Amino acid sequence: MTNSAQTIDPALYAAVTDAVRAEARKVLESGAVAAVVGWQAGRRAGTAMPTIVTDPAKAADLIFSPACVNNLALYLTKAKKEVRGKGKIAIVAKGCDLKALVGLMGENQLKREELHIIGVVCAGVQGAAADRSLPLSEATIAGKCRECTVHTPENTDVTVGTLTELPHFTPTESAELARLEAMTPAERWSFWKEHFSRCIRCYACRQVCPFCYCEQCLCDRNRPQAVETTPRPAGNMAWHIVRAMHLAGRCAGCAECERACPMDIPLNLLNRKMARELKELYGHEAGFKPKEKGPLAEYREDDDQSFIK
Amino acid sequence: MPKTITEQNLRLLIDTLVKEGTRVVGPRAAGTMTLYEPLATGEELHLGELPRRSAKEAFFPLCETILTYEKDKEGVKVSDIDPARFPETVLIGARPCDVAAAPVLDAVFSWDFKDEFFLERRRKTTIIGLACTKADDACFCTAVGLSPSDTKGSDLFLTPLKDGGYRCDVVTEKGEALLSAHAGLFADGTGEPLPLAEPTLGKLDLEKIRNWLDSHFEDPLWEEIAQRCAGCGACAFLCPACHCFDIVDEGGEQKGARRKSWDACGFGKFTGHASGHNPRDVQPQRYRNRIMHKFKYYHDKFGQRLCTGCGRCIRACPVGIDIAAVLEEINNK
Repeated sequence: MTNSAQTIDPALYAAVTDAVRAEARKVLESGAVAAVVGWQAGRRAGTAMPTIVTDPAKAADLIFSPACVNNLALYLTKAKKEVRGKGKIAIVAKGCDLKALVGLMGENQLKREELHIIGVVCAGVQGAAADRSLPLSEATIAGKCRECTVHTPENTDVTVGTLTELPHFTPTESAELARLEAMTPAERWSFWKEHFSRCIRCYACRQVCPFCYCEQCLCDRNRPQAVETTPRPAGNMAWHIVRAMHLAGRCAGCAECERACPMDIPLNLLNRKMARELKELYGHEAGFKPKEKGPLAEYREDDDQSFIK
Repeated sequence: MPKTITEQNLRLLIDTLVKEGTRVVGPRAAGTMTLYEPLATGEELHLGELPRRSAKEAFFPLCETILTYEKDKEGVKVSDIDPARFPETVLIGARPCDVAAAPVLDAVFSWDFKDEFFLERRRKTTIIGLACTKADDACFCTAVGLSPSDTKGSDLFLTPLKDGGYRCDVVTEKGEALLSAHAGLFADGTGEPLPLAEPTLGKLDLEKIRNWLDSHFEDPLWEEIAQRCAGCGACAFLCPACHCFDIVDEGGEQKGARRKSWDACGFGKFTGHASGHNPRDVQPQRYRNRIMHKFKYYHDKFGQRLCTGCGRCIRACPVGIDIAAVLEEINNK
């Protein structure tokens, strides 16, 4: 869908906001759910933050806007036991977030019947460095949204909002992936070495990832130490390789790791590269149907074995 | 007599210092951001924006080796790092919100244990602060009692002038020494300063906030604010005043090093006990510690607060936690 308008109409988000509030109020009042995980406005204009609403009167705090960048599936993992402990949960989900929920169901971390999914029609969210006072446009939209194919989430309990015609956005992530793939291995190595050298090991990438729910992260272990924990080149490289490999075939592509990185490391580029490899080798893609086993957790006779020389 | 220095001479000052063998650290363009990094030439000085990470790393690096060990036939040889070998440093172009944190940190690093790694770097560093003329909506230095022209912690202090260049005020003897050693680069005069930045958040009653914290260790507020906290270290690592560190031994049986690197109270493992017990079992308890340490514990102990209002934690928080909003909420109680 394309049109000649260069910006996305904020009215789309306003309508979704109203509908999310009404739905949240309804399910909280009826007792169908114990809590609604959504977004509320931040103190600074044009910002939003995740929120967990249990009081129907507070349903009016919920919003949906281009600032609603977070993948809220994070709050349903076992890393966030406090939230799950409240009972049945409603979650507001964009199409991209839904893939993470489905992935978690496939990994037996969530049961569909324990969730009330409020899908929101989404035209995109803002990029990290965007001027928040402007509507979404080529200049302000997040990289992942430029190539979005799931503006309208499906298989939800309710989906709110109506998609209007959207401007055409120039893809940036796939262009960057093509640039990466065109490099020689030596060039790629130095590309990542340079990026990872900036890592400060704050683990924002891990902490916002819905799939990094291990109760004991291998990379935190010190007896024995598997990966150096100090922010130095060897440990940084090892950490990011472990992260990428552990997410291969599981990553839902929400790009939260990249958004959260205070050092601007293009982590989603690595995720996309891994996703492409998995598609080429095993025909696997993160999608909207729970799969019990990802390609790297399963052995099949017909697996590609050409890498064994 | 007040002094001024032109933009060109400021860069020349850096060139001169570098040639003299001084390490010069200042804001430098680094990919998509600005960072405080060693400058090779005055040309590299990049004063347009607040560096992504704070200037604390001039004294408290992200990671440093504190000893090395090596095993040979005679046994294990342990070598200490000699802080006397740290270079003389000039930190230039640092914002008041960064510089003001340095004297606050002196208190803890020179308390019951004298941390020579920190203190020796402090002794050997001369700080040239820079008044701030641009604030964004995360800045709140004025709300916590500082100002865009606060000279706290600076040895020399630069104020950008309308006609270009800077007024240079001498704050300490160390600053005076640096200025007199390079007097030829400065001129007499004052000049008309550019308007200062104007952070929008109103002044907070920090004493009232401390009193509230004193009696609200248990309060529903902590869960309300911090159940969204993802438990990363972005806020602490970018903060000019957070100073927790971890010490780990890395290497093998034959040789290795003991290293010190930044740690953060937001991490689940931060208070993990060997038994498996964790006294701060859930994220709201960890976030509560962050606020308590900054606005109560440190003040109880040292009479100072661990926040300069730089706003870095607000900009960096992946889940939108806004420390200024938290303080405002407590202030309004």
